[in-house]
Amino acid sequence: MTDIAVRIEGLGKKFIIGHKKSGDIRNTFADFISKLLGRTSGSTEEFWALRDINLEIKRGDAVGIIGRNGAGKSTLLKVLSRITQPTTGRFEINGRVSSLLEVGTGFHPELTGRENIYLNGTILGMKRVEIKQKFDEIVAFSGVEKFLDTPVKHYSSGMKVRLAFSVAAHLEPEILIVDEVLAVGDAGFQKKCLGKMSDVSKNEGRTVLFVSHNMSAVQNLCNHGLLLNKGKIEFAGNMAKVVNRYLAQYKTYNIDKIHFGNYISSVKIRNQEQEFTKAFKYGDDIIFEFNLTDTFSFKHHHLGFFIFDSDGNKISAISTAMKTPIESNDISGINYIKFIVKSPPLIEGSYYIDISITNKTRGRVDYIQSACFFTVVETDIYQTGAKINSHIGKIYLEVETYFTQNI
Amino acid sequence: MYKIIVDAQKSNLKLNIRELLAYKDLFVILAYRDLRVRYAQTFLGLTWAVLQPLATLIIFTLVFGKAVNVDTGDIPYPLFALCGMAAWAYFGFVLNQSGNSIISSQEMIKKIYFPRLVIPLSKAVVGFIDFSIGFIFLICFLVYYKYIPGQEVVFLPIFILLTIISALAVGIWLSALTIRYRDFQHVVPFLVQFGLYATPVGYPSSLVIKNLPEWATILYYLNPMAGIVEGYRWCLLGSQPPGTYAYYSFIAVGILFVSGLYYFKRVERIMADIV
Repeated sequence: MTDIAVRIEGLGKKFIIGHKKSGDIRNTFADFISKLLGRTSGSTEEFWALRDINLEIKRGDAVGIIGRNGAGKSTLLKVLSRITQPTTGRFEINGRVSSLLEVGTGFHPELTGRENIYLNGTILGMKRVEIKQKFDEIVAFSGVEKFLDTPVKHYSSGMKVRLAFSVAAHLEPEILIVDEVLAVGDAGFQKKCLGKMSDVSKNEGRTVLFVSHNMSAVQNLCNHGLLLNKGKIEFAGNMAKVVNRYLAQYKTYNIDKIHFGNYISSVKIRNQEQEFTKAFKYGDDIIFEFNLTDTFSFKHHHLGFFIFDSDGNKISAISTAMKTPIESNDISGINYIKFIVKSPPLIEGSYYIDISITNKTRGRVDYIQSACFFTVVETDIYQTGAKINSHIGKIYLEVETYFTQNI
Repeated sequence: MYKIIVDAQKSNLKLNIRELLAYKDLFVILAYRDLRVRYAQTFLGLTWAVLQPLATLIIFTLVFGKAVNVDTGDIPYPLFALCGMAAWAYFGFVLNQSGNSIISSQEMIKKIYFPRLVIPLSKAVVGFIDFSIGFIFLICFLVYYKYIPGQEVVFLPIFILLTIISALAVGIWLSALTIRYRDFQHVVPFLVQFGLYATPVGYPSSLVIKNLPEWATILYYLNPMAGIVEGYRWCLLGSQPPGTYAYYSFIAVGILFVSGLYYFKRVERIMADIV
């Protein structure tokens, strides 16, 4: 018995982007002909979703995997779950694995809740007898007792998620692989699930691999962290350190470098002194500047962005649809937008923005996640030395306080 | 102690029967799901499993039995046709179902690991329920016509097994091919329809041997079901035992089955990436 639960050596996964993905006979035939003639079809492109991953996970570790979208987190879990084959390298897993990349895999709407418990449980790798033993527990955890014999298609989406998660929560693997599945369900149920997961890793000593965008969840749950960037491990170590490293990554940068959208060429953040910065004090204005490409036209598009805190909670949204920045009679040739957010009451912490481009008739045409990042640092605005930080809540309110005697 | 080793350098084409057996609960429940869902919210429910073959039988009896007046010796035509239909219906069903089976469970394939072979296998289990119903139907006809099978009936289990293997062989091939080339989605229904006439279901194979040249007959018998249907009639109705040509069918079954498994294992590696 080794105390290594997972050992990964030189793991890589390559995807071919291009027409080959969905094969049909005509393409294969055409490829075959061009191969015969010694020509290669030029329309494919290689893409390494994972590259040269080396990692050892000890038994009982809870590892949080974080990174931007497209960093390779989910691919790593898929490879380790044996859903897809690695292109290079090898890995070994010592112990029974269960992976939970989605809640309710295989749920069938026509079947009743009871039948779906069996179906989903079996798909997740439980034996029939195992499910039978835990059946009552599963039902109690989900809280859908009354509807057990109703087809799942009549369930509300919340009920479906609860039932599905309850099945998953009763898996008893030695190694549990979980993708961002907790983003569903209401807050109370999410809390219950996180509690169950921390039970699994802390009290029962199982190995957990957990992908999430929810920084507070990974910090609560995991002792080790892994930061992925463009398919490679950028940083590994203590979870809190990894989270800090991840948040610090959100610098101002040119978006087109990472081929996100075709509407915006860069985003910059300044303070009221016109300095480019990432750090703001309480009371500072935050100025967001967007340089636009030719594709963007005010005649057809709106630009907006959402502000999120580091836990992924949406704090607010700002859009040109709310307030058009200029007289609307001459709007051609505009390629720059500036929003000045007047001393936002954001509490100290890290924030990031998602940018959304909407077409006035067609709706959303582009969405850039985690486009840039800024921090608000705690400031003694009232010069009283009182702590005004995240302990007081999500925002601070500027107040004037009067003390008078009752006249 | 469970241990999993995955190495990109080594292609794992082993069938791993032990693992398949460990997942037997899965294909039982998948088969159960298919059965439940198939007749969910239908008025007649499982009666459909009887009505469909009955309707086909009536048409066959009218067209081949009465209008064309096919010579089936001293075997009553409905009994003759039903015997072939029971076997063919199973084969056709598994073909139809497994062709699309992987694509229709792509959500599962992208999210969870299990031996992918479970999917076409579960279709073979579902089909077996229909086959049993058809078989009971056939027994009723045997009783009605007071037909008592001879001692050849002891070979019947072999032919039933062969039916399952040949259905699986073609089913596994088609499920793997369909995922690579969606064109097969259009080929399969045609294949099933075509196969019904290229198999001695409604007429005796002696007609083929008598009227077609040698090479065409061999081609005809490369259809795995051709020899098997003859086997059923021999076991149950005491007609001619399967001739030398039938061995072409049996060999075809074997080759298709082994090569199908091999091809499936090869496609399995990339299944989640291409669905």
